[in-house]
Amino acid sequence: MKDQAIVRLEEASKYYRQGNMEVRAVDGLSFEIHKGDFAALCGPSGSGKTTVLNLVGGLDIPTGGKVFLEGQDIGLLSRSKISVIRRDRIGFVFQAYNLIPVMTAYENAGFVLTLQGIPERECRERVMSILKETGLEGLENRRPDEMSGGQQQRVAIARAIVTQPAIVLADEPTANVDSANADSLLGLMERLNHESGVTFLFSTHDQRVMDRAHRIIRLHDGKMESDEVRN
Amino acid sequence: MDMKIRTMAWRNLWRRKRRTYITAFSIGFGVLLSVTFTGVADDSYTKMINTSAVMGLGHVTIEPKGYNETPSLDKRLTGADRLREKLLQMPGVQDALIRIMGQAMLASANKSIGGAFMAVDPSMESAGQNLFIRSIIEGQLFSGTDSAGAVVGTTTAKKLNLSIGKKLVYTTTDVNGEIVSEIARVTGIFKTGVSEVDGAMILLPIDRVRSVLSYGPYDATLVSIVIKDQRRALKMLDEIDSMLDDPSREVLNWRETQSELASIITLDKAGNRIIQVLIGLLIAAGILNTLLMSVMERTREFGIMMAVGMAPFTLFRLVIIESVWFGILGLLIGVIITIPWYAFMHYHGIDFSGMIGSDYSASGVLIDPLVKIRLFKESAAWILTSVFTLTILSGIYPAWRAGRVPPVESLKEL
Repeated sequence: MKDQAIVRLEEASKYYRQGNMEVRAVDGLSFEIHKGDFAALCGPSGSGKTTVLNLVGGLDIPTGGKVFLEGQDIGLLSRSKISVIRRDRIGFVFQAYNLIPVMTAYENAGFVLTLQGIPERECRERVMSILKETGLEGLENRRPDEMSGGQQQRVAIARAIVTQPAIVLADEPTANVDSANADSLLGLMERLNHESGVTFLFSTHDQRVMDRAHRIIRLHDGKMESDEVRN
Repeated sequence: MDMKIRTMAWRNLWRRKRRTYITAFSIGFGVLLSVTFTGVADDSYTKMINTSAVMGLGHVTIEPKGYNETPSLDKRLTGADRLREKLLQMPGVQDALIRIMGQAMLASANKSIGGAFMAVDPSMESAGQNLFIRSIIEGQLFSGTDSAGAVVGTTTAKKLNLSIGKKLVYTTTDVNGEIVSEIARVTGIFKTGVSEVDGAMILLPIDRVRSVLSYGPYDATLVSIVIKDQRRALKMLDEIDSMLDDPSREVLNWRETQSELASIITLDKAGNRIIQVLIGLLIAAGILNTLLMSVMERTREFGIMMAVGMAPFTLFRLVIIESVWFGILGLLIGVIITIPWYAFMHYHGIDFSGMIGSDYSASGVLIDPLVKIRLFKESAAWILTSVFTLTILSGIYPAWRAGRVPPVESLKEL
């Protein structure tokens, strides 16, 4: 099950200029993420965690090297093609939840399905099932400002996994929630990984996430410091 | 998907209710202003054209060829009665009036002045189709077509010291170019409010004038045609022209016979259009500002939407649909606030007679001091369509901006 590489970075680099200085956010990074992985990118602020997630998610284009998603070189794809890949193959969970404020929990969770043009009935079945799975039953009609941080992050997770993506990229998913909610969210993601085989790649410096991750890739100044697989 | 986008766009409008209401009211106010300017113009042009038509020449005139350029009494139409009968059969023609119009020297025992006459058949004429009859303030229109009566304007009466029953001599040239004179007795005095007309024009019985001018029994200088809807004058002109099919006669519309009035209206329309464009620009700037602000505020949100797979074009559509909603809302508010104003201005209007004085004319054209609004269907449709189109056009740039948001940059936004 874990043989197939969903993500492959080959000497991937991302440089940008800050004034006269060249900042090497990611510097010649190579690793693979396999189906079913529950992996965390760790490291201090500025180590390049978010940049790696952006590269893997096609939100950013590498300055050097290559990033493959399910065998496709993201750097060679057009904007609209990348947009389709993000819609169909990648789930995003952001630190600040980033739900659409004018939509209810149900609508937020089903947003990507709507973009995919899934028929309303199927969309309803899948969203209701995912909301149940993420413990949001009964909150379907609430808008983000009517929910707690933990509940909003659950909606964000529901939105990320409802399309059954190849990988879920989660950028500091526990940073804005209290420890009880953080544990609960991690438990949820762990269960989704274990039971449904959803692949997760986190960026985090939260010890609780690192404790639960099956694989930890440590970054420092854009370079890999270590890649530790746990059983 | 489309329904979801429409719903999302509608909800986005209400994120900042006050701003939405202000923008929608500005669109609505633009509609009100536009209706006011267009409505006043529609009403005043119609009144001016109709008034001008009932001052002698009608909306469409049939004349002998060349009469309009160099009017002279040796040019005349024959068989005007048969022509009138044919014209009255035509749908859209309200009336057709046989008239002889010319220049004359008007004299009383005391004085003489230059003037003009319009010879009419009292049985054909009515107050509705003849401004001079409508404006009689003393006495009445002569009876019979061969009587010796005359109706004069107040200023003429004053200049020549005339009153009802007094004698007036008019001198003109006949069909052969000979100078001819006739005596008439004043049966009525009119006051139109147009000083040039009140001081020059007299009405005379048509058969008496025919005999003075040595015209045949059915000769006239023109047939003045009143059209039910003045906007159809041009179209009717073509129909009448093809019905006539006579190269010795020409069919002219009011723009040709009353070029001064046509110029005034053209100039006024141009000014009105400039004002309308300025109103449009103000509305557009308001909408553009609102939508642009709303797009800038949501940069991060758009970044998220693109990150989760929304195509840039869908984002473009979202903002365009928001501007469509703005347009619908603005037009709705516009209609709601305009209806009572329109009803007041249409039925009551505002009377400016105190500001205008006693001469209600401009370049010989009678102007109604009671300003009212009358909006033609096509003007209303034009206003609604252009305001709506303008709203959507104003949304294009913000929508384009939204679609250009780079996800990775926007995700860094606070």
